[in-house]
Amino acid sequence: MAHRDPRRLTRRQFDLLGTQVAGAVVAVLLGIPIIGFILSPLFRRQPTYWQQVGDIGSVPDGQPTKFVVSFPQGEWTSSKVNAAVYVVKQNNNYTVLSNVCSHMQCPVHWDDALRQFLCPCHGGLYDITGQNVGGPPPKPLPQYVHRIDGTTLYIENRFTENI
Amino acid sequence: MQRLLSGAYNWFDERAAVRNLLRKGLYEAVPVRGAWFYTLGSATLVLILLQLITGIFLTLLYVPSVTEAWASLNYLKQHDAFGSIVRGIHLWSAYILLFVIGLHMVRTFFSGSYKRPRELNWVTGVILFVLVLGMAITGAFLPWDQAAYWTAVVVTNIAAYTPLIGSFLRALWRGGDTMGPITLVRTFGIHVWLLPAILFPLILAHLALLRKHGEFGSYINYRGAFRSREGVDVPPAPKQRPIEPPYPAVPTDELWAAPLETEDFYPHQTFKDGIVSVGLVIVVFILAVAIGAPLEAIADPSTTSYVPVPEWFFLPLDQLLLLVPQQLIPLILVLPAGGVLLLLALPFIDRGPERNPFERPAVMVPGAFAVLFIVILTLLGSGRLFNQ
Repeated sequence: MAHRDPRRLTRRQFDLLGTQVAGAVVAVLLGIPIIGFILSPLFRRQPTYWQQVGDIGSVPDGQPTKFVVSFPQGEWTSSKVNAAVYVVKQNNNYTVLSNVCSHMQCPVHWDDALRQFLCPCHGGLYDITGQNVGGPPPKPLPQYVHRIDGTTLYIENRFTENI
Repeated sequence: MQRLLSGAYNWFDERAAVRNLLRKGLYEAVPVRGAWFYTLGSATLVLILLQLITGIFLTLLYVPSVTEAWASLNYLKQHDAFGSIVRGIHLWSAYILLFVIGLHMVRTFFSGSYKRPRELNWVTGVILFVLVLGMAITGAFLPWDQAAYWTAVVVTNIAAYTPLIGSFLRALWRGGDTMGPITLVRTFGIHVWLLPAILFPLILAHLALLRKHGEFGSYINYRGAFRSREGVDVPPAPKQRPIEPPYPAVPTDELWAAPLETEDFYPHQTFKDGIVSVGLVIVVFILAVAIGAPLEAIADPSTTSYVPVPEWFFLPLDQLLLLVPQQLIPLILVLPAGGVLLLLALPFIDRGPERNPFERPAVMVPGAFAVLFIVILTLLGSGRLFNQ
């Protein structure tokens, strides 16, 4: 019986190792690009655009007024997507609110009878300045990044805080 | 002629060994009593196959793109009566599938059919149930009409309330922080490739396990045998046992080794299966023709008048969204996830040999409360929507 050096692999052990290494190489070579592909939109900076909302000189005091603005839909599309903007004027201060509920991002609307913003999904309530005052919303209504040039309002398609 | 055919069959069988496979598949001994309840599994399978077939053909027209998805389905609605029926079958068989798979699960729970050695039948079944729910939710995004869009917004946003990795998960699904073109393509890919690629092999495993261990039946199939075993009496011999094992594969408990009465799966059980399935398919067809699949106006994120209404199967969770206060929003994830984990753990919690539902209060009572909880949430939710 031949003596075998225990430090040397048997043919069986070698082949087993080879099979496993082959499998691991394939898994890594496929896995890295696929995982990178899935994650890549998260690392890409979303381009932002300024858009003219319109003349807000005629917005009445204490009465939120809705404007609709179009922004590029993003990525490869050439189409546009609409965004709703509520302009609130109070004592010559303007608040530029979105219609995105901070709870589940449903579309809120200004309810004249309630004098509050109301979310139709789960009954979230916000006061005229967008502060969450009732229902499940955990945060105020998001505000658009904006600038006012004379009486012309411009907004960027991002919010002042992450939602 | 017959000789020629049987010769060809023998030639084929010698090479492909189909005869043995057919025998195993068709001539399984199944319990006689309660057989109508055991049609729910095959009905689930038939409805899933209906989904597969109609789903494949819907890709002949549907375009998974934010600019084209709604338009392509609107074209279908306006100009293609048969295509509309195909889409109607896809929708209505999905709705009925969710209902039937739920009944299948309740029946299995009730009869204790998840007990050793069938724990993995149950575990694969729970995973299949979750995958079917995933198919339903991702499918609801695809029309990209108002209903689909706002469902997509809310559902992806629920993921954002996962502790620690919430906003990462939402961005992963949406392909960014906000809804966009990637959201729809990703969801389409998940709906037609990713989930089915897991779902269908798992169905095969579920069926293979069923054949491996046989149908255990419920406690009514053992009545009599059970009682006589209490004393020294020899149990009555099974009345009829058309074929030998694989049924039952391994008697894990002598009291519950085999039902008293069994008969061949084919054609006795397949007859009942066929009746139930064909009934469901006819109902699906009628609903598809008479009601069809709705298509609302195209998605508009700037709306301030649209009232999003959740899909009916989403209603209990939606009601929970309304009831859970703002400090506890992660509960809407914790409760369903905990429920699924408990379901997965069920066969390892309820391990005794007892199958009679009335002798298993430790699982039947919490189970009944869970079902009651879901029913109450659904009733509250539908009441709210009808009063809106």
